Amino acid sequence: MAKDPVCGMEIDPQSAFASREHMGNVYYFCSENCVNQFDQDPHPFVMQNPEKADFAGSATTGFNSDLRLSQVEMPVIGLKKDGQPGAELIKKALENQSGVEKVVINPTEGIAVIQFEPKVTGLMDLVNVIKKSGYQVGGAQKRIGIECIHCASCVQFIENDLATIPGVLSASVNIGTQEATIDYLPEQTSLPKLNSAIESWGYKTRVASSDQPADQQEAAHNKEYRSLMNKFWLATIISIPVLLTAYPQFIPIIRDWSMETLRATWFGAAILTIPVLIYSGGHFFTGAWAALKHRSANMNTLIALGTGAAWLYSTVAITIPGIFPEGTSEPFYDVVAVVIALVVLGQALEIRAKGRTSEAIKKLMGLQAKTARVIRNGQELDIPVEEVLVADVIQVRPGEKIPVDGVILEGSSAVDESMLTGESLPVSKKTGDEVIGATLNKTGAFKFRATKVGKDTALAQIVKMVQDAQNSKAPIARLADTISGYFVPVVMILAVITFVIWFDFGPAPQLVYGLVTAVSVLIIACPCALGLATPMSLMVGIGKGAENGILIRSGEALQTAQAIKTVVLDKTGTITKGKPELTDLLVADQSPVTGEELLKLAAAVESVSEHPLAEAIVEGAKSKGLSLSKPEAFEAIPGHGVIATVDGRQVALGNLKMMKRLNVDLGDLESKSDTLANDGKTPMFCAVDNQAAGIIAVADTVKEDSKEAIVVLHKMGIEVVMITGDNRRTAEAIARQVGVDRVLAEVLPEDKAHNVHLLQAEGKKVAMVGDGINDAPALAQADVGLAIGTGTDVAIEASDITLIKGSLKGVVTAIEVSRATMRNIKQNLVGAFVYNVLGVPIAMGVLFPFFGVLLSPLLAGAAMAFSSVTVVSNANRLRSFHPKFSAK
Amino acid sequence: MTPIQIIVTLGGIALSVFIAWFFWLAPKGQTRVSAGVSGVQEVAITVKGGYTPDIIVVKAGQPLRMRFTRQESASCSETVLFPDFNKSAKLPEGEEVLVEFTPAKAGEYGFQCQMGMLRGKLIVE
Repeated sequence: MAKDPVCGMEIDPQSAFASREHMGNVYYFCSENCVNQFDQDPHPFVMQNPEKADFAGSATTGFNSDLRLSQVEMPVIGLKKDGQPGAELIKKALENQSGVEKVVINPTEGIAVIQFEPKVTGLMDLVNVIKKSGYQVGGAQKRIGIECIHCASCVQFIENDLATIPGVLSASVNIGTQEATIDYLPEQTSLPKLNSAIESWGYKTRVASSDQPADQQEAAHNKEYRSLMNKFWLATIISIPVLLTAYPQFIPIIRDWSMETLRATWFGAAILTIPVLIYSGGHFFTGAWAALKHRSANMNTLIALGTGAAWLYSTVAITIPGIFPEGTSEPFYDVVAVVIALVVLGQALEIRAKGRTSEAIKKLMGLQAKTARVIRNGQELDIPVEEVLVADVIQVRPGEKIPVDGVILEGSSAVDESMLTGESLPVSKKTGDEVIGATLNKTGAFKFRATKVGKDTALAQIVKMVQDAQNSKAPIARLADTISGYFVPVVMILAVITFVIWFDFGPAPQLVYGLVTAVSVLIIACPCALGLATPMSLMVGIGKGAENGILIRSGEALQTAQAIKTVVLDKTGTITKGKPELTDLLVADQSPVTGEELLKLAAAVESVSEHPLAEAIVEGAKSKGLSLSKPEAFEAIPGHGVIATVDGRQVALGNLKMMKRLNVDLGDLESKSDTLANDGKTPMFCAVDNQAAGIIAVADTVKEDSKEAIVVLHKMGIEVVMITGDNRRTAEAIARQVGVDRVLAEVLPEDKAHNVHLLQAEGKKVAMVGDGINDAPALAQADVGLAIGTGTDVAIEASDITLIKGSLKGVVTAIEVSRATMRNIKQNLVGAFVYNVLGVPIAMGVLFPFFGVLLSPLLAGAAMAFSSVTVVSNANRLRSFHPKFSAK
Repeated sequence: MTPIQIIVTLGGIALSVFIAWFFWLAPKGQTRVSAGVSGVQEVAITVKGGYTPDIIVVKAGQPLRMRFTRQESASCSETVLFPDFNKSAKLPEGEEVLVEFTPAKAGEYGFQCQMGMLRGKLIVE
């Protein structure tokens, strides 16, 4: 039986209506209709048939439709970290699956290459097998926006359709966000194919809104700013004639107008201020009404009440002056127009200033490259960076930005990563090294395989993390929050009390005094300044940290960091480089070889060993430009050392036991070795042809800037403690070099958290600095956990602060940023409190009995408008903060 | 004191009491959210001068999906924060934005705009 590719009907090839040959396969059709459809465009029908799938000549998969077998390359998440054991596990599981012919796993690339018989097993089955062995298939994930999708039933159809495309692992459509989220293998299908599957249902596709660039917010801000400025100008222009008629006694010509003329102009003012109320101040009234419906009140309520009361009183006073006592029937439309103009101007300036607070984020996002040069099917294509897929091979030339995260396949270069890590020196990269998107390629050209794109890149994650932190709350804001929750109703009650007191006890005309003071109280109170105080400073402070390679996870972490009294530093990887290096080369007096020869021979022996100490020796020799010969008869003697023949000489490398075993006379080398060991180094004896040749010592060396950073921490009044699992001798040697106050040595990894707790019990705020992997419990136990990451390790979950650059200077900068930000927040909070605590009573008229001074509502409006602008501007001052160790 | 003064005084006291009652004491309407077929508790929230609904009652341990739609341009309300859950979302005008998490512990959690002008409450039972 054969299957009609158009209608899917099972038919007998003998009795088929027609047959066609397409791309080496014969297809049979049940009817004329089907064959006509096929003739018009055979491609889609062949595509839908997974058995005959044509993967459009993918260069990377090696798929060939003449073969019975299909081959697929699947990226497996987490495989790279687990290495060979994980690879074995997956391989075994896949090989047990029927239909799988051959499995090759490459753990260094994190890729499984599977040859399978598509008739027996499918992609989905393979994915499931990998899942069952505890791994996730990576693939690419793409969100595609779908315009105007509202029908819930279409969702199912589109999802099914997408799922039948070869290479699609899963697809889901969300009506709410109007987006399809598709997991797929980029080698097997392409974006246009996914798009056309959606478009075949009559929908238009667009870039998913969650992937849209973030200048959207800036555009919204600009629009809002322009709209506020228009409102401001209208109110200002109308304020001029209204002010002239409100204070006739001061204006030369108007001074001479008769009372009747003035009254007429007042009616004019009443009419003129209506557009101010509706257009310029409309949002105060609608906002107040919306809040009122929620039984809550905010700044809008205060402004709406103040200006509304002023307008209503004035209008009643000029239309029916008779009901008021003599001399009180004067309007104050000036208050309406001027206060609205001022407050709107304040809001506009606030938006402008607010925009600047997120500058750091904008700078970060601006780092993203716009295009990438991708090599697909052997051709170089310049495509937008959004369309780069995982596993794409990308060409980067000197002077170009690296578009996404990946691993170098070919070539080498120096890369300037200063924009992300703050590390000023270019980092050299060779085949197999990771590159980070948005960094700048300096010298060489290279090709790399994309491992992370879109929202998964290090840059995107940093941006997301910083944004989340900027929007988090600092505990210090809690008081301000509680207060502003009660603030507005309290001010309203105070306004009522003010009116009553002036009305009962004030001088004549009581009604006017009562009203003016009550309106002033409503207008001068500024809950905004209180509410803005903390978030604005946090925004700038956390952004400032990010600029310097410090990711602060939340406002709480930032606040705690300023109070740190003790810093606990993990030794390995934090103070030291975490990787042994060749430090000393001592040549014995009767050595048969010179120092250089000794190193060359030793390194040659060690070049076949995989021990980290061996690697250090090999690296050391290579960095001195020595070329290594191949060792012969290599033998590793456990607990002793290694021995091999190099260039015809027998070379032994090992500890004291090794030398005794070979009966080598060490002379004074033994005592020299002790001295080295006392300095925290690992010495190894070397014998050539059974004669003592010398000592090679390796050690985990201190990072260049550790000492400098610890000195500054001391100057800041912070105690520095070192914690390590190493023996006391090594620990104290390192401690002497960098100058820490206390050493906690021989601490088991699981006891680190307990030791941090003991320090906390001394009543100090403790910060723990570690590499974030085995120090996780201690990082979590500390008041502030600082994880030292290198480049891409931004996803260190246990930490409150991540230092992207692996330097201790970051600890200093983190504390500096935190102290500067908290100082700024306190200034803002105190300023906002003092402003309100002084402003409101003055508006109530407490100065009047003593000095006869009363605050004009116009001044109250100006004060209120500029108080919140001041808060935001003060937060912006933080932008000029410079850390002691400048990143650039 | 003149009769007018007495009336104004009493009126002022009454108004103050009313303000206190209206904003603080009177019980507020709550919106109870129940889980749909998928087990997700869903609620649509409009942002315009306030959050509608602003007091949301949900069950603990069940995923919660809130669909925020901001229908105003005032920059105040452009971000909604759930400080207790360390969640925040930017709300572009007129666009539906989902905020999703699973409230684990019962209690009352506030949510608000960045400067706390608009407030709502999430009651987890």
